[in-house]
This record gives sequence, structure tokens and C-alpha cells, in this order.
Amino acid sequence: MNRRTFLGASAALLAACGKPAHNQKTLRLALNWKPDPQFGGFYAAPYQKHGLDVEILPGGAGTPTVQMIGARSTEFGIVSGDELVVARSRGNDVVALFAVFQNCPQGIMAHASRHVASIGDVMKEGTLAIQRGLPYARILEKKYGFDHVKVVPSPGGDISAFLHDEKFAQQCFVMSEPLLARHAGVDVKVFPVADIGYNPYTTVLATSGAQLKSDPDRAKAMVAAVREGWGAYLNDPGPTNAGMHDLNPSMDAAMFAEVAEAQKPYIETHQERTSLGSMTAERWMTLIGQLADLGDIPQAMPAQDCFRNI
Amino acid sequence: MKKFLPPLIPFVVVTLAVEWMVRGGWVPSYLVPAPSAVLRALFDSRDELAAAFAKTSAAALIGFALSTFTGMAIAVLLSSSRAIQRSFYPYAVFFQTVPIIAIAPLLVIWFGYGMKTVIASAFIVSIFPVIANTLTGLLSTDPALRDLFRLYGASAGVTLVKLRFPAALPQILTGLRVASGLAVIGAIVGEFIGGQGLGSVVDVARTQQRVDKVFAAVLLASLLGLGLFALINLISALTLRRWHTSEQTR
Amino acid sequence: MPTETGRGVGLRLERVRRVFENNLVVIEGMDLDIDAGEFLAVLGPSGCGKSTLLRMIARLSPPDGGRILAEPQHFQTSFVFQDAHLLPWRTVLDNTALPLELLGTKRVERYIQARAVLAQVGLEEAEARYPAQLSGGMRMRVSLARALVTEPRLLLMDEPFAALDEITRFNLEVQLRELWQRLGMTVIFVTHSISEAAFLANRAVVLARSGGKICLDRRIDLPPQRTNDLRSDPHLGQRLGHEMKLLMGAMEEE
Repeated sequence: MNRRTFLGASAALLAACGKPAHNQKTLRLALNWKPDPQFGGFYAAPYQKHGLDVEILPGGAGTPTVQMIGARSTEFGIVSGDELVVARSRGNDVVALFAVFQNCPQGIMAHASRHVASIGDVMKEGTLAIQRGLPYARILEKKYGFDHVKVVPSPGGDISAFLHDEKFAQQCFVMSEPLLARHAGVDVKVFPVADIGYNPYTTVLATSGAQLKSDPDRAKAMVAAVREGWGAYLNDPGPTNAGMHDLNPSMDAAMFAEVAEAQKPYIETHQERTSLGSMTAERWMTLIGQLADLGDIPQAMPAQDCFRNI
Repeated sequence: MKKFLPPLIPFVVVTLAVEWMVRGGWVPSYLVPAPSAVLRALFDSRDELAAAFAKTSAAALIGFALSTFTGMAIAVLLSSSRAIQRSFYPYAVFFQTVPIIAIAPLLVIWFGYGMKTVIASAFIVSIFPVIANTLTGLLSTDPALRDLFRLYGASAGVTLVKLRFPAALPQILTGLRVASGLAVIGAIVGEFIGGQGLGSVVDVARTQQRVDKVFAAVLLASLLGLGLFALINLISALTLRRWHTSEQTR
Repeated sequence: MPTETGRGVGLRLERVRRVFENNLVVIEGMDLDIDAGEFLAVLGPSGCGKSTLLRMIARLSPPDGGRILAEPQHFQTSFVFQDAHLLPWRTVLDNTALPLELLGTKRVERYIQARAVLAQVGLEEAEARYPAQLSGGMRMRVSLARALVTEPRLLLMDEPFAALDEITRFNLEVQLRELWQRLGMTVIFVTHSISEAAFLANRAVVLARSGGKICLDRRIDLPPQRTNDLRSDPHLGQRLGHEMKLLMGAMEEE
């Protein structure tokens, strides 16, 4: 073969190596945890009705969805609002499309028997299990200091250490771990992080800027399908829960139902279902300001770059 | 210097290539940090990293020392009779196969958050190669030499100390080489769960999307493993120098 | 019962029997008397049980039938294997002194004895060397020295020179014979070399291919001084050849 053919073939080979081979028509959606009610709407979404072929990839502890979007190993992913801003500051062009939790459900749970009045009291003694690298944790440290409490890594959904020790407080999603604890016979007091003024959008559907640019129609269809899915899930989570329970047997069916109910106030704050998941620039701006103050990002960035309501 | 040159050249070439690719934008810096960024992270966080390195080293060394002595003792016991070996060896294999990530939360429940859990993790992950290699070494003693010792009335204990153990030394050291690296890995895993040392630095930096710091901590962990490996090699050279082929063709 | 004379051991084997795990009868009831101070060569084809016999005499494995009597009853045995089997992490001196160390002799005393016996085999210069630094012949001499350091009454040797080159073997044979004449212990020397058996021993026993049957039991008719001249001198060589012919005949018969 002549030189041109050879170069062309080599270039094609290299290009093919760069992107993971998959069916061009299938869109991948990478979750950042195991299938549970926080992803209910994504499992309930009628993708085919909107002309889409979507493959949902369940995740687990530490699934790097924001990097996966940047590396193009997934077209869509679930991220948290603050990690999206930090990713953008590092040069990763991730864009938010749909925010499931309009209010951040992150919180700290403590044994009710401790009779602690405020989140600051939790930090006066005992053990605190948190993901220290997360921005909310550093806001807590800045505000209250960790001098009197022993900080250990968050066990991520596992409450056995919590159950064993009365002075053990743990990071949680307010509609998840506290319910597990109550079922295990321990009454808990939950302090939402939002109470100290930190309230990023959470469980956010995101994609890469490049994906958005190259295929805006399918991104729009995706959001429409997801919106419809969440509407359906809020009305009747039962069938979708059954499907997710098969994928994630670690929680029983009754727990799935309870959590799905408890998470509603964090999702449905608008009166119209048609604006489920939509976001405001103001909220993003607040978040960006807080992260800049913390030093997690070198400087503020335009809020409009972080999201699209499509 | 001649000894260090061959492995140094590919290292320098690759480092320069990565630096060039990241600077030029062919590889995104949020996926792969430029080596210069890693160096800067090493410098900027030097106090934190130094303290973390000290903690991880201590845990890995203690865990490794424990697995060395316990592993050798277990191997001596297993080698003493076929019946004991058949009954208990499968349980030793359990240490090899148990996934440490799965039992690390259990370790926290038993040992609490802190050094003890990390040491336990390093111990569990590194003990099996010590047992397996020491056992093989002890079972491979030259039968003629065992006869010789019997001829002069040597007890089992004397035979173990003066014959079987020295004869098994090359094999034992092979086991220690493998175990030393595993002890570092075990310590890091224990630290993910137990929350201190280099493992904790990696975990926290990961959630902050500080890839440069992650790589800096990983680099230090690798150096720790390398250091332990070099230590075993030194011991091997000193003890086997006079008589074992492995240390003689230099 | 052969009585004890000088510094040897008299042995009597009565209907000694040895069966292996797969029910193979290696030695079927052997009767043998060995005089104290005798140099006995045991000849036979591979697999005929000569090594097994030696291990039973050494009390390393017990007979399955019959008994082995000894006079005196308590004595030190030494064994020389086909390979030198030295401890590679010990010096020549420490290897030689090993038997005394195992028997509890103090270091100063055992080093004196070890040095003495090393001088007897001509290795006094090599005492600080390690086995890896020695030739095959030198290693065998250390093995021999180790065997002699306890002044054994019984020396058992299992094809010790088989792996060595001819010149080294010839010289070691002469040296062994000299040591035996000086020290007077009973030597049982297993070999499959007819010339070696004829040269070294004053009595030879030929075992059958299987079952441990003794085909030939003969006093070697050669002068007590065995030197390399014996091999090269035509007149002596003829007598050596004659002995060899008899042995060969017995071996070929079975």
C-alpha cells in the first residue's frame, strides 16, 4: 500500500484506540452509587419513547463519574454539584442538565440519646465519620473545629460502627442511613448540612460540553425522558423499586419504599412537574462563591458555564 | 552508578514524555497529572506527606515484622508432621484468598480506628507468602543430610536450627521479598478504612479531585515498598553471599 | 559371634529381611558375619539392595525381619554418601567438626580434632573455605574427614567415589586404604565398580540382582599394601585382574 493509505489507516487505528468501542447509538449513564431510590427516575425514564437507547451503569463507592465524563468513557453521569464545579476548575468541561435533589440531602446523624441540640455539639466529643475531602466537611471544620472530636473515614452506607458506639456520629443522606438506624432500633437525630448554609444541587445528571455541542438534540431528548421518568417515579415508585431491588439486594423492598417516600421533599420543591430538575444561576453562583472561599477552586467562574436548562 | 543507570533511563524518558503530553494538552491534566505538578504537590504538602509517610511506614514495618515471625512459626509447626500440615494448611491459604477490602470494616470493629487496624491489615495481606515459602523451604531439606543428623543423635530441635532452617533460607527470603510489598499494600488499604497515613491522603485527595496529590502520595508509597524490598535484598546478599548461587554470579 | 579386636565392630546379620511399601521384597533373609576391622566391599547391580542394606546397618531404617547384632553393642557409626553433602553455609572446618558439635563436644576440643583429621586427608590449608569454592574431589575428602572426626568403629560408604574423575578416585582409594590400616575400623564399602572393590577390600560380597541373595563371598587375595603400583605393575596387576574376573563372573551369573 502507498504511504497515504498507510498513514490514513494508522490514523484511523489510533483514533479507534482513543475512544472506547461501543455502539454509536447507545448512550451510557454512569451512576455514582448502587441502584437505590435516589436514581429512581433514571430507571423509570421512557428512553425509547424519546428515541434513545440508554444503558445505565451502576456504580459504588468511589466511582469517578466526573472523570469518566471527561475521559469520554460515559456520555452521561451522575455527579454532585460541588464536584462538578471543582472539575470545571481543573479543566474538565462537565455541564449539569438535571438536578434530582433541589436541596442537598447530606447531613450528619447522631444518636438521639446524646441529646445534642445543634450540629456544633456533635463535634464536642466522640467520633465523627465523614469524607474529609468533601467541601461540606471542610466548612464544618472551619466553623466548629475538629479539635475535640476524632475524625475517621465515612463507612459509606455501613452503619455497624455507628450502631456499636453511642458517641459515633456519621455522614449520611437524610432519607437513607437514619432510616436504616431506626430499623436497627437506634433512634437518631439528623442535622442537614443545608442548615449551615451549604446547599449544592445533588444527584445531578451531567454530560461533557463536547457531547452537548456535537449532539444537542439527543441531550434534550435525554433530559425530557429523565424528567418524565421522575414524574412517573414520584407518582408510583413501586415497579421501578422492584427492578432496582433486583440489581441491589442489599436493601429490602420495604426499605426501598420508605426511602422513596422520605426523599420526596428534596426533589419536588416546584409546583409544576414540567420544571422538575431545573436549576438557577443564582444557586450555582452561591456554590461557586463558597468553594472559592474554601480555596477548593482557584477563582470564581461564570455560573452559566456550569449548567443548562434544556 | 553503573547498576542504577539501566532502570533510570526508561524512567527519565517516560517522565519527560508524560510532561510534554500533558503540557501540550494531548492528555488532560485532570486525568493524568504532569510530573512537574506531582513534584510541586510533593513540595507544597511536604509536612503532611512526611507525617503520613512516617505513619504508613511504621504500620507496614510492624505488620511485616509480625507476619515474618508468625508466618515462620506457623510454617515450622506445619512442617513438623504430615497430619498437622493436611489439617491446617488450607486455613493458611485462607489468608491468601480473603479479599482485604471486604474484611477491613470488620477490622475496624475489632481494632478501632487507628494504627492497630492498619497493622492488622498489613499483617493479613502479607503473611501467606511467608508461610508458603518457609514451608516449602523446610520440607525440601536434603534427606541425606537429615540422615546424617540422625546418625549423630541430633534432636528435632537441633536439626531444625542447624540444618533445616539455614537450608531453607534462600526460599524464606524469596517469601519475604513478596511479603514486603504486600505489607505496604495492606497498610494502604487499612488506611483507607482506618483513616491515617498515605492511604488517607490518597482517599481525601481523590475526593478533592487533586490528582497531583494522589500521585505524590502513591509515589511515596511505592518508594516505601521499594525500600523494604531493597532491605530484604541486602539481608539476602549478606547471608547468602558465601554459599548460594543466587548471590554469587555477580 | 566375631569378637571385638582393635578399634572395629563385629557385626552379625541373622535372617535380615526388608520389604518396601509396595510389597517388594528387597532383601530376603540375609545371613552375614563381618569381622571387626574388616574392609568389606559390597558389589551388585543397581537396585539389588546394597544401599538398603547399608542403611539398615546404620540403624537409619529397621529391618522388617531378623536382627543385626554388634560387638561391642555401643559404637559410633559414620556414613559417607555418594555426594559429599556438605552444609554449604559452613566452612570446611565447621563442616568437618559437625558430628562432634552434634554430640556435644566443646568448640576448642572439636576444632583440634577437626584440624587433625583434615591434615590426614591433606586439606589443612582449606579449612576456612566454603564448599562452593572446592572441587568435587576436595569436597569428598571433607566428607571423609567429617566421617572420621568421631573416630568411628564402623565406617559405611555408599558409592562415595562414583561421581569423581578417575585420577582423583584412584588417589582417594589409596588414601582411604591407608587411613583404614592406621585406624583399624570396620569399613563396609558399597560399590558397583569391580576394580574398586578388588583394589580396596580384603573381602568382597556380591549380591544378586534381586532379593539380596549373596552370590559370592570371597577373601581378596592381594597384598595388604594397596598402592597405585598395584594397578600398573604387571605381576600385581595380573593378580588384581584375576580377582576382578572372579567377581565379574559372579555378577554376570544372575
